[in-house]
Amino acid sequence: MSRLSAVKPAYWISGVLLAIAVVVPLLVSTYAKDEPRLWGFPFFYWYQLLWVFLSAILVSICYKLVITEERKRRAAEGLGDPDKAGPAKEGDQ
Amino acid sequence: MNHSVDWVQLIIVTLIFGAVTVMGFMAARWRSSGTLDNLDEWGLGGRGFGTFITWFLLGGDLYTAYTFIAVPAAMYATGAISGFFAVPYTIVVYPIIFIFMSRLWSVSHRNGYVTPADFVGGRYGSKALSLAVALTGILATMPYIALQLVGMQAVFETMGLGGDNLLAKDLPLLIAFAVLAAYTYSSGLRAPAMIAFVKDGLIYLVIAVAIFYLPDVLGGWGSIFDAAEAKLTATNPNTGRPVGAFVPGESGYSAYWTLALGSAMALFMYPHSVTAVLSTKNRNIVRRNAAILPAYSLLLGLLALLGFMAIKANVDVRGLDGIPNPQLAIPRLFDQEFPSWFAGIAFAAIAVGALVPAAIMSIAAANLFTRNIYRDFIKRDATPAQEAKVSKIASLLVKLGALAFVLTLDKTLALNFQLLGGIWILQTFPAIVVGLYTRWFHRWALLAGWATAMLFGTLEAYNVINPATGKHFGGSLANIPFTDTQAYIALTAFALNVIVVVVLTLVFRALKLPEGVDSTHASDYRADQGDPGVKDLPELLDEGGPSPAKS
Repeated sequence: MSRLSAVKPAYWISGVLLAIAVVVPLLVSTYAKDEPRLWGFPFFYWYQLLWVFLSAILVSICYKLVITEERKRRAAEGLGDPDKAGPAKEGDQ
Repeated sequence: MNHSVDWVQLIIVTLIFGAVTVMGFMAARWRSSGTLDNLDEWGLGGRGFGTFITWFLLGGDLYTAYTFIAVPAAMYATGAISGFFAVPYTIVVYPIIFIFMSRLWSVSHRNGYVTPADFVGGRYGSKALSLAVALTGILATMPYIALQLVGMQAVFETMGLGGDNLLAKDLPLLIAFAVLAAYTYSSGLRAPAMIAFVKDGLIYLVIAVAIFYLPDVLGGWGSIFDAAEAKLTATNPNTGRPVGAFVPGESGYSAYWTLALGSAMALFMYPHSVTAVLSTKNRNIVRRNAAILPAYSLLLGLLALLGFMAIKANVDVRGLDGIPNPQLAIPRLFDQEFPSWFAGIAFAAIAVGALVPAAIMSIAAANLFTRNIYRDFIKRDATPAQEAKVSKIASLLVKLGALAFVLTLDKTLALNFQLLGGIWILQTFPAIVVGLYTRWFHRWALLAGWATAMLFGTLEAYNVINPATGKHFGGSLANIPFTDTQAYIALTAFALNVIVVVVLTLVFRALKLPEGVDSTHASDYRADQGDPGVKDLPELLDEGGPSPAKS
C-alpha cells in the first residue's frame, strides 16, 4: 500500500486517462446505432471517428503530465534533458 | 470486362516507382559518402530518428495495403464488423503503446537489444524463450507481408496486367513479388524511412481527392451509407443470413471489440514495429508520437468508407479470371471514377504504400533470424559479412513464405492474413510486455503458455472454414469455447496463454525451479538518451543487416 500511495499524481491521472482512451471506444453497445446522423454519417461511424480526436487529446494531456514529471525526476537525479541534448534540433510540434 | 492494359496508368506507375527507388538508393549512398552527417534528422551514427521521421515510420507500419486495400475490401464485402473495427483498433493502439513502449526503448538502449527476442532472452535468461519469440515474429510477419503482396496484385490486375489463362492468372502476384524481392535485396531501414515521406505524401493527396471528390460525384455521404445499408442488410441467398453488418447487432459486439483490442495489442509486438520504435532518438519520441499518430486513424476511417463508395458506385470486382475479388473494389473504384492519369497516381501510391512496409517487415524478420537464431544457435562466431549474407537470404525466404501464404490460403478477404498473423504474434505479449514491468512470470511457464496458445490459436483458425470456398483459415473469429460468444481467436488464445502462465508460474515457483539470470537492471527501464550506459543502436539503421554492437 505504501508503494501505491507513493505513485505521483501525474502518473495515476495519466493511467486513468489512458484507461478511458482504451476502454470507452471498445464499448460497442454505447454506439452501435444509426441515429442521429451527422452529414449523412450514421452515429456508429461519426462517433468512432470523433474518438480519434478525443483519444489524441487524452494522450496529449498524458504526455504533458508524464513529461513534466519525468523532467523533474531527471533534474532531481542530476541527469540531462535528452530533448535538448546534442545539436539535433528538429522542427517538430 | 476490360482486358487490355491501361498504358497511361502503367507508365505513371512505372515512373513514380522508378523515382521512388532512385530516391531510396540515393539515401543509402548519401550515408556512405558521409554527407548525411549534415542531416541531423537522419541521425547518422545510429543516433536515431526524431519525432518527425518517426511519425512517418510508425505510421507506415499501420498505413499499408491493410489500410488501402484490405480494410475497404472488407467494408465492401461484409461491412462494419470485419472492416470498421480497424478504426477503434487504431484508436486504442496509441494509449497502449504510450504505456509500455518507452520502457522497451530504455531497456533496449541500455543493453544493446535490437529485437524483441533480444529483450526476452536477456530478461529471462532463457535462449528457448528468445527462440520462441523470434520464431513467432518471423512466422507472423509472413501473412502480413502476404497482405501487401495481395494489395500490389490488386493494383496490377486493375491496370490490366495478367489474364484468365493459367499462366497469366498469377502474373500480377509474381510481378508484385519480384518487385519486392529486388527492392529489399540491399537496403537498411534508412531507405524505406526516406521513401515513407514520398509514399505518405502521395497517399494524402489521393485520399484528400477521393474523400472530397467522390461523395460529390456519387450523390453525397447520405446516399453512400444508404446504398451500403441496402447491400449489407440484404439476405445472402447462399447462407440465408445477412450479407454483412451495417451497424453491428448485439451478437456482433464481442467480435467487434475483440478484433479491435486484439489487433491493437498485437501491432507493436511485430518485429518491424519494434524496430521502428527502437530506431527513435530518445525515450519520449514514442510517447509524443502516440499523441500525434491518431491523425492516421482518421484517414484510415475515411479510407475504410471508400469500401462503401465502391458499393454505391457499383464497381465490377470480378478479377481477370472472372471470380469476384473484393480486394479489387478500391482500385476499380479509382479506375472507374477518375481519369486514367489520376488513377495511375493512386495506384502508384497504393503500390509504393504496400512495398515500403513489406520491405521494412522482411528486413525486420530477417534480422530476427540472423540475430536470434543464426547467431545464437547455428554459428556463434559469425563474422559481420556472414551475418549480412544470412540476413539477405533470410529476407528472401521470409518473402517466399509470404508468397506461399498467398498461394495456399483463402484470400477472399486479405484482411484475414493480418488477423492470422495477429493470432500468433499476440502470444508473445506476456513475455515482452509483462516482462517490462515484472519478472514474476516463470520463464518456463511463459514458454508453456506460448506453446499452448500457439497451438490452440492455429487449430481454431484452421477450423474456420469459408463457406464460399470451403477452405480452412477462412476467418479469424470463432466462438469462445463452451459459449456462443464470437471473439477474435487471438484474444481467446491470449487469455488461455495468460491462464497457463499464471498457473504454471505458481507451480514452478513452489517447486523452486531455476529462474534464470536477469541481465537487465531496474534502472534500465527508465534510462534515456545521454544517460550513462545508454548505447546507440546503429545496426537498426544501416545496410546489410545486423552487425555486432561496436563498442
